[in-house]
Amino acid sequence: MTETFLALLKGVPVALAVTGLSFLIGAVLGIPLVLMRRARSVLPRLAARIYIDVMRGIPPVVWLFIIFFGLGSGIVTLSPFQAAVLGMGLISAAYLAEIYRGGFLTLPAGQNAAAVALGLTRLDTLRYVLAPQVLRVSVPPMATFLVSLLKDTTVASTIGVRDVMMLVTQQAQAAGGGFAPFIAAAVLYILLSIPVAALARAMDARMRRRITA
Amino acid sequence: MSGLLANWADWLPQLWKGLLVSLQLTGAALAAGLPLGLALALLSAARAPWLKWPAIALVEVGRGAPALVVLQMVYYGLPSAGISVSAFVSGATALALTTGAYTSEILRAGINAVPKGEVEAGHALGMTPGDVLRFVVIPQGVIFAVPALMGFAILIFQATALTFTIAIPELLARAYRIGAATYLYFDVLVLAGLVYLAITIPFGWLVNRAARRLGSHLG
Amino acid sequence: MTEAQSPAAPPVVSLEKINIRYGNHHAIRDVSLDIARGEVVAMVGPSGAGKSTLLRAINMLETPVSGTLRVGDFTFSLDHRLGQKDLLALRRSTGMVFQQFNLFPHMTVGKNISLPQMRVLGRSRAEADKVTARLLERVHLADKAAAYPARLSGGQQQRIAIARALALDPKVMLFDEPTSALDPELGLEVLAVMRELAADGMTMIVVTHEIAFAAEVADRVIVMADGEIIEQGPPDQVIRNPKLPRTQKFFRAILDRH
Ligand SMILES: Nc1ncnc2c1ncn2[C@@H]1O[C@H](COP(=O)(O)OP(=O)(O)OP(=O)(O)O)[C@@H](O)[C@H]1O
Ligand SMILES: [Mg+2]
Repeated sequence: MTETFLALLKGVPVALAVTGLSFLIGAVLGIPLVLMRRARSVLPRLAARIYIDVMRGIPPVVWLFIIFFGLGSGIVTLSPFQAAVLGMGLISAAYLAEIYRGGFLTLPAGQNAAAVALGLTRLDTLRYVLAPQVLRVSVPPMATFLVSLLKDTTVASTIGVRDVMMLVTQQAQAAGGGFAPFIAAAVLYILLSIPVAALARAMDARMRRRITA
Repeated sequence: MSGLLANWADWLPQLWKGLLVSLQLTGAALAAGLPLGLALALLSAARAPWLKWPAIALVEVGRGAPALVVLQMVYYGLPSAGISVSAFVSGATALALTTGAYTSEILRAGINAVPKGEVEAGHALGMTPGDVLRFVVIPQGVIFAVPALMGFAILIFQATALTFTIAIPELLARAYRIGAATYLYFDVLVLAGLVYLAITIPFGWLVNRAARRLGSHLG
Repeated sequence: MTEAQSPAAPPVVSLEKINIRYGNHHAIRDVSLDIARGEVVAMVGPSGAGKSTLLRAINMLETPVSGTLRVGDFTFSLDHRLGQKDLLALRRSTGMVFQQFNLFPHMTVGKNISLPQMRVLGRSRAEADKVTARLLERVHLADKAAAYPARLSGGQQQRIAIARALALDPKVMLFDEPTSALDPELGLEVLAVMRELAADGMTMIVVTHEIAFAAEVADRVIVMADGEIIEQGPPDQVIRNPKLPRTQKFFRAILDRH
């Protein structure tokens, strides 16, 4: 069991890299998406909505197949790792945009008006008044999303990314079955998610202190 | 373009069969997983520690472990434990375990939303704790949980795509097989994606409606 | 109310040196109290005095840390703990009406009243529905059996809650500020039903701030403060000529508010 566990550890950097990079892509792309989603004119609003619904409505593994096998068959050839990061990043953008939107909805009604009354431009209002508050309330759901993203990126193994999941399946096949490798993998994923959750709690607490102090 | 549409028309019957398998898996996972979730929700609220802690542990592990890990564990584990079942049963079992772990949290939140005063009224009337659960807490708690449970049903439907890894002929597996045969991976996988959307998007509207109706009902 | 004065009849409810604690907080201190059959007792006192706690001890929604509690044939004390069966029987013999009504919102009014009869007393549906119809008549809501609680006014809901408790033929009815959550006019409907109940000879303990109701309907007024009964007696005496300065102040404050 310990041996299996140690062998699986080799997949951890890859799993974390896929998770971290796709989260980063999602966190950045989520910003223009949420701004479009909240735009005054219909067109950007509709486009953002369609993007979000389509990304979230198709299973992640299907997206990875479309990108890796679909685009890969003659359109753009990506490595499994690149395809996984791109696919999970585009999906994350949809989820994170919705999380940001939830953050905007919690803003007190007067904030926008107060900033406008002070003569701030729309961009400055967004940057200095709205965004920091949105970010603060978004941290806990973002952390929850990050933990579920870590688990969802196991599908990267299906297109050949050598992450923990890939290693555990190989181990199980080599050993002719058994529960043990999978239990080790489950424990490993749970252990990996603990620091993420703890970090999120710490960040949340720090921002809270800054606001109330 | 007309070539694409003609291909899609050719492939659709195959994918339709795959979709039916995906929906059957979803149904089986929910049919077995929801009662499990309710049992886990009730057990994890139990006073006796030997009921409570195993239930909490099962929920935490079930939620903490990736669905794909659970799926492979059941698929590779059961035969080595001397239990040989079809891939479909393995897949449904694994998805039911995941469903149980996740829905127990949803149901627990619903149950906690039942006002304490009503529980007390039941006790004051001399109803047994079992009757209070059965007639007062569970019916309302489940109704409170309906929108979230419907939202979860969409997720577990999407998770059936993972069972392609254990050779269940569901939607994704069939699309991939067509892709391998025609080398038109992109076209057929996009069609598969559209078929998933044809289920998830309308169902998502239903979820929103259910949430709104429940909201106005409670308000 | 003649029975109330008869010395031979045993009390319906009897508390002996009851103590209740919430952690370090000593909510009820050595309270003893006998309630005779047919007696109507009004319990008053400042917020936090322990009125609700004492009332809830009578049907064992709160468990005393010491003392003896007798309700009908059931006796509870620390060295005589009740089994689940006796506990349920004790609760069955007491009816409780809450400030917030606590009807079951997912059941019709009729089902709210019938279901406990079927589950707790084992009555058949037909029997239960007959009792329900009679009680709905009694609380003047005969036409509401098929309605859901949310469609009713607060006053109507509270009358349904009274009917639900009465349906189990309790030996004593416990009311915890039954009109406090209601607009005054709606409160009057509820008080009218309670007045009829008292006239019919029901044993009642009513925690209330409605001094006029207490003065008119109660046989005895009990004043609580800091977990103790500080004064009790007939309403004429306790409300109009309280002995303790503390009681005088309490009633003056209430009367001033009106
Ligand atoms: N569940 C509880 N946990 C801790 N303390 C409690 C609890 N319930 C009541 N108390 C405390 O016990 C004391 C008596 O409370 P109780 O509710 O019986 O007062 P009351 O006379 O009914 O007051 P009110 O008129 O406000 O309803 C109060 O100090 C209250 O804070
Ligand atoms: Mg009270």
